[in-house]
Amino acid sequence: MANFILRKAESKDVSDILRLIKVSKVGDMVQHFVDLLEDGFGDHPFYHCFVAEVPKDQQSSEGYTVVGFAMYYFTYDPWIGKLLYLEDFYVMEEFRGFGIGSQILKVLSETAVKTRCSSMHFIVAENNTQSIDFYKRRGASDLSLEEGWRLFAIQKEELLKITAK
Amino acid sequence: MNFKIRAAKKDDCKDISRMIMELATYGKMPDEVKISHKELERDGFSSNPFFQCLVAEVPEENKSKEGQGIGKSLMSKVAQLGKEKQCMRLQFAVLDWNTPSLDFYVAKGAQDVTASEGWHFLRFDGEALDKLANEAED
Repeated sequence: MANFILRKAESKDVSDILRLIKVSKVGDMVQHFVDLLEDGFGDHPFYHCFVAEVPKDQQSSEGYTVVGFAMYYFTYDPWIGKLLYLEDFYVMEEFRGFGIGSQILKVLSETAVKTRCSSMHFIVAENNTQSIDFYKRRGASDLSLEEGWRLFAIQKEELLKITAK
Repeated sequence: MNFKIRAAKKDDCKDISRMIMELATYGKMPDEVKISHKELERDGFSSNPFFQCLVAEVPEENKSKEGQGIGKSLMSKVAQLGKEKQCMRLQFAVLDWNTPSLDFYVAKGAQDVTASEGWHFLRFDGEALDKLANEAED
């Protein structure tokens, strides 16, 4: 099986994107359809998305033809300018090993270069050795290890306390 | 200490660039700064801006003095903007040796998710990015 296409996501893909996000994530923070739809396909998109689609005769065991996605957005680094930030990247297990992931990464890099981004950044959990190897094989650097960057998060509850001060 | 926090204007880019360099120098990476006020002006103040910026300004008579509470006010304004846009979380990176900053953020309720959840920052840039963009299908 090598037959798949990569294309820009459309608003009709939002239910598939939500399904893939839920499958790929461990934990309790789950997105809502309405937010995903409005945030991606409203007047001011907060993210961009590619999907990988297979023909109907190669659909998944549950009947899905959208089998992978990548969610990204443009952000800014005060030292180097425009950046492409890869937020989510997932291919369904039964469709791995066919080059879909590699092709998605290639299209993302082409997008980054075309839009004059200096770099593509993303985060990976350190126990996700499979993903880390995938990226490192392709030339990615681990900035947490090499330069000491640590990711910090301030949750909504704490943010509200800060606004009150 | 009399100061005000306001949205940055195109004219502020020279000052922002100066402060970016000061922060990069503090971060021991001044050579990593590749853009100047010109790129900031182009990328932040066109019809399709790639970033938003707040600046803190003191009146003439207070210039060159140390600030007090300015950092806290900037954070507060950022949190307020996030609240208005219904954001769920504020995420950012800090260098592991930067204890004053680490302390500042932890005191405000920030969690080090590299420590607690093992998240690492990765990057494709320069040659690696070009190579990826050009390579044939696997």
